[in-house]
Amino acid sequence: MSWHVDEPTWRRYADGRLDPVAEAAVEQHVTSCPQCRGAARALVRDVESLWRAVHAEITRPRRPWPYRILARLGVPETDLVVVGAARDLLLSWSVAVGAAVLCAVVTAMAPVHLPGGPPALFLVLAPLVPMLAVVATYDATDPFREVTGTTPFSKLRLALLRTVAALTAAVPLTVAVALVVPALHGYFAIWLLPGLALTVATLILLTWLTARIASAVVGAGWLVAAAAAAGTGGIGAVATAAGQAGFALAVAVLGLVLVHLTNSRHARRVAR
Amino acid sequence: MTATLDAVSKTFGRTAALHPTTLRLDAGVIGLLGPNGAGKTTLLRILSSALAPSTGTVAVAGHEVTGSQAERTAARRRIGYLPQEVTFPRGMTSFGFLDYIAVLKEWGDTEQRHAEVRRVLALVGLADRATVKVRALSGGQRRRLAIAQALLGDPALLILDEPTTGLDPEQRASLRGLLSGRPGTVLISTHQTEDVSALCDRVVVLDGGRVRFDGSVPELLASAAGRVHQGATANPGAVQTWKTGTGLIRSVGGRPGPGASAVEPTVEDAYLLLRSATAEGAAA
Repeated sequence: MSWHVDEPTWRRYADGRLDPVAEAAVEQHVTSCPQCRGAARALVRDVESLWRAVHAEITRPRRPWPYRILARLGVPETDLVVVGAARDLLLSWSVAVGAAVLCAVVTAMAPVHLPGGPPALFLVLAPLVPMLAVVATYDATDPFREVTGTTPFSKLRLALLRTVAALTAAVPLTVAVALVVPALHGYFAIWLLPGLALTVATLILLTWLTARIASAVVGAGWLVAAAAAAGTGGIGAVATAAGQAGFALAVAVLGLVLVHLTNSRHARRVAR
Repeated sequence: MTATLDAVSKTFGRTAALHPTTLRLDAGVIGLLGPNGAGKTTLLRILSSALAPSTGTVAVAGHEVTGSQAERTAARRRIGYLPQEVTFPRGMTSFGFLDYIAVLKEWGDTEQRHAEVRRVLALVGLADRATVKVRALSGGQRRRLAIAQALLGDPALLILDEPTTGLDPEQRASLRGLLSGRPGTVLISTHQTEDVSALCDRVVVLDGGRVRFDGSVPELLASAAGRVHQGATANPGAVQTWKTGTGLIRSVGGRPGPGASAVEPTVEDAYLLLRSATAEGAAA
């Protein structure tokens, strides 16, 4: 045998920096050269740390593709873990989604459909109901509530993330229900999209504000918006397709703002 | 001092689950013994901040659990809590479950968090079960997984409500080794008196929502010295008697019968005598 694989070549091979021809030559040579196989083993002195790295890679949770996309967009990984767990708590999540859809359907069938649109009080309270339904559902059915309740994680943030997990499933479901049952009034969506928009808005404000102040600001903002809509007689517009599309747009914009803020904060932290 | 309970009580409706209780918990392993309904779980839940007391104050590492939200959050950062029962969603993996709880315990950095999850999985002997769904784990493995979540972050105060339930003798011994070697305070509620004698520096006996004994294991054993006998017949008035493997009858309490000889009491003997005295006091 006229040649052996030297250490620099092994390093380049391990780093994937050899060209395909050289790489094939190394592999073919090593299969018939015990001396080079021994040299390769000698190069990997800390087998334990190598194994730990392999084990870490194997045990790393693989998230579904929507989560991976959100992570690439900059949504905090910890938030994705919480949202993922909210869905993994299948019973709680299913009941929460069902409760949110039920709220929407009951609204559609309730006798609140006045000619001028829904009453202002109804509009003020409507977005809160899906969130309260989600929180109540998880409180009643979360098998870890005794453990999660004693952790330092913000309970408001946990509730908001669970609401996002439930409402992002409930919104398309209610749209599907409306397509199948066109007799259902357009009001049914009033419960969900504003709820989702306000949830995301509160999550954004939690970047700077305490839970109480963030909730108060969002609540006050919604009160002002509802009062303004009532004052201008535009309340009925909320239940129209255009109004709901506006809320969908608001959710998307707020989501992008949330991602941007998170990325900026992360960049600042790294810079420090 | 890791934790203090000052005149803490809890009532549910008209029922007093815990009468005003004052305890100071220093570093070491502390065993909490008592019959069912003694108030052990209520005390642990209050200490862990899962339950608000009716009266009194609780502090952990200088932060008031019963204080403001900020104080409570600061206290929670120093607590690891294993409830009596933990139900798992069966679709989660061991790693996924611990990863979730670690996020709730504010482990923000992904790499560090995953390393911590692997550390506690290894501590409870589940390193090779990381990717296994919880539904595929045995009862003992699930209990160890529940213990692992309490160990995340090496909390200053570890509160374990009947941690050895469902563990086999080898796993119990392994858990003892794990707990005895850690710094900080470990408070264990258990029915296993042998765990207390093998592991605890201090033992607190609760009965009827009141502390009936608070001292070291040797002090508890001393309270039963000369009151446990073995002989051919049972002691008249004994609290408990049973025939041992040697054919002799062991009597806890009572007047020694003819030929009975005093034997070394165990923690269980001392506990039974304490319980008996409490019951007699209540009857009187």
